[in-house]
Amino acid sequence: MSENDTIDPADAGSLVAAEYVLGVLGAAERREVERRLAQEPTLASEVAFWEERLTGLADAVAPVSPPQAAWSRIETAIGAAPRRRSVWQSLTFWRSFAIVSATLAAASIAALAYIGLVPGARTPLMATLSGSAGQPNFVASVTATGNTLVIVPAALLTNDPRAFELWLIPSGETRPRSLGLVQPGQPIRLEIPSDLASRVTPDATLAVSLEPPGGSPTGLPTGPVIAAGKLTNL
Amino acid sequence: MDAEASRSQLAAALARVAAGDRAALRMVYQDTSAKLFGVCLRILNDKSEAEDVLQDVYVTVWRKAAGFDPGRASPITWLVAIARNRAIDRLRSSAVTRRMEPIEAADAVSDPAPAAAELVELAQQRQRLARCLQELEARHSAAIRAAFLDGATYEELAQHMSVPLGTMKSWIRRGLLKLKACLEG
Repeated sequence: MSENDTIDPADAGSLVAAEYVLGVLGAAERREVERRLAQEPTLASEVAFWEERLTGLADAVAPVSPPQAAWSRIETAIGAAPRRRSVWQSLTFWRSFAIVSATLAAASIAALAYIGLVPGARTPLMATLSGSAGQPNFVASVTATGNTLVIVPAALLTNDPRAFELWLIPSGETRPRSLGLVQPGQPIRLEIPSDLASRVTPDATLAVSLEPPGGSPTGLPTGPVIAAGKLTNL
Repeated sequence: MDAEASRSQLAAALARVAAGDRAALRMVYQDTSAKLFGVCLRILNDKSEAEDVLQDVYVTVWRKAAGFDPGRASPITWLVAIARNRAIDRLRSSAVTRRMEPIEAADAVSDPAPAAAELVELAQQRQRLARCLQELEARHSAAIRAAFLDGATYEELAQHMSVPLGTMKSWIRRGLLKLKACLEG
């Protein structure tokens, strides 16, 4: 038989799994196989067959130690790298003690990632707002541009029907300024009023109080403060 | 460490990774990164690209460890498959034409590197693969090895071995069919 004998189309079809594993397919064909894998268990088990049987070929490749820095890059990428700021430790704390739902933890991280990505002239600020027992109830971050604040509820386990109002107590001042209402069940982004933006600085305090629906009628906190914390540079 | 112990230790570490244990990921990394980096480097032929892909591989392992089924695949197979798929995808997406290893090198790989011995598991299966590959025509098995190790497309292999595309497809497909029959037999 000549080298150019055609392969029976049925055989060629059954070989797509082997061709995928072998690596001879182009990018578009690979995506097509991957799309089919999710729907075709037969194809998936053929791919598994070839992966298992051909893995031995990789023994021919000499191991090469990756550079030292490779591991720390991976650690950083999965969010495991040690951080200098204590707020990160408390994030880790919340997660490991499972007092933050997975979704909310993800939202906190997203908020952190968000502020890290915004180019701006200011150092991003962050605050952990704890309750009287020391448990973290909210984490807040001020975007690098200084005019937006993201606040993520953490461990707040309450179905109190009252409104949650966020206050700024500027550094060196005693009078709280309202930043708006927050939600106990979801992250929320607040615009910082322009007259307050310059007072959102390290050592300013953020606090959350319980207020009547719609927020404090007086412009000052009227209900109990359930969480408070100081802003620090991230 | 013998192959069986290595295999079950890796499988156990992956189960812990699935539960979010970072120390376990570190163990998996220590045990397998040299092998996977070697595999990526061979395909990409570029240290910094290979490093990027390696990072991607272990982040994928971190995220997808729960999808690893020890009943379906051995841990090293699962890891090598992730590494090869990532490296091949990177290769396909890069516009840079890659220099392939000389084909003589591909021919010379029939002796597994002893350095990889600690990661060799299911020794019988490997021996069977080696035996089945030997039963193929030399150029068919050389093309299959080169494809696997370099992650090269049919086109690249044809060009590299200076044969028409149809010939290369025929060599590899014929080789794969025979290999399948032998491996299943």
